[in-house]
Amino acid sequence: MPVASLLEWIESTDLSTAIREGALLYPIIGGFHLLGIALFGGMLLVTDLRLLGWAMQRRPVADLVEQSRPWKQLGFVVVVVSGLLLAWAEPQKLYRSPSFWVKMALFALVGVHALVFRAGVYRDPAKLDGATTSEARLAAILSLLLWAGLIVSGRLIAFDA
Amino acid sequence: MPFFEWLTTSPWANLMNGPEWAFPVVESLHFMGFALSIGTIAIVDLRLLGIGMRRQTAAELATDLQRWTLAGFALMLITGPLMFSADAVRYHENPSFQFKMTCLMTALLFHFTLHRRATRAGTPALAARLAGGLSLLLWTAVVAGGRMIAFV
Repeated sequence: MPVASLLEWIESTDLSTAIREGALLYPIIGGFHLLGIALFGGMLLVTDLRLLGWAMQRRPVADLVEQSRPWKQLGFVVVVVSGLLLAWAEPQKLYRSPSFWVKMALFALVGVHALVFRAGVYRDPAKLDGATTSEARLAAILSLLLWAGLIVSGRLIAFDA
Repeated sequence: MPFFEWLTTSPWANLMNGPEWAFPVVESLHFMGFALSIGTIAIVDLRLLGIGMRRQTAAELATDLQRWTLAGFALMLITGPLMFSADAVRYHENPSFQFKMTCLMTALLFHFTLHRRATRAGTPALAARLAGGLSLLLWTAVVAGGRMIAFV
């Protein structure tokens, strides 16, 4: 099976072995993954809570969305790069883990979320000031749920046999 | 230590050691708690450092985000001890756990004293930068120490 041999090849690379068997590399990359989640999550929370009208109501939506964007992007890059490295270390285990596939499905939905709501919510946040729309609220709730779901499914990977 | 041994036999420890889903669920809530608190603290820190969120003052951000930071602390400080009680004897001997607790106590103390003062209007720029940088460093150490627990 080509997938099986691909996974085997990944695990036989020096990088994979180094992350998997080094005493420090795996937890350090895992630590970066968590810090990226916190940075991304904090920025996401500020935006979403503002869209829901639960926090920072006196600040313009556009201010928060625009200012948090570069940090959100940085957090995203840190999460994805560290995540790829962690996956590179043990692809065979992940391939068999149901939680991993749930996580990947949710991750794909993050992309769908961005595509669906970009036009109505995130591209021109200034128009949401004064009157936040139900579309913006929906976008905020879904993004919080996706983020929570990614954390739970990610954590469950360690508990799959 | 008798106290830690007693902890591992407590009803909540039994819950944590009982159903298979208990530990991962509590651990996930722990992750959300620290993302909530450290994420919102990081926003204030980036402002203190002068590198992010500059359309607001640090004082405004700190006031706006305070209750979310506290909510994160609450979630973190409920779920953390729950996980600890599940295997208290081993955790308290774990060097990474001890490192994490030292950093956590320092970070919390710092957060509610010097860091809080640094967010006030009129703080000299250098003091604000130092407070922001130190805060990021301390919380990073807490997360890193926590991640290491499972590997020591």
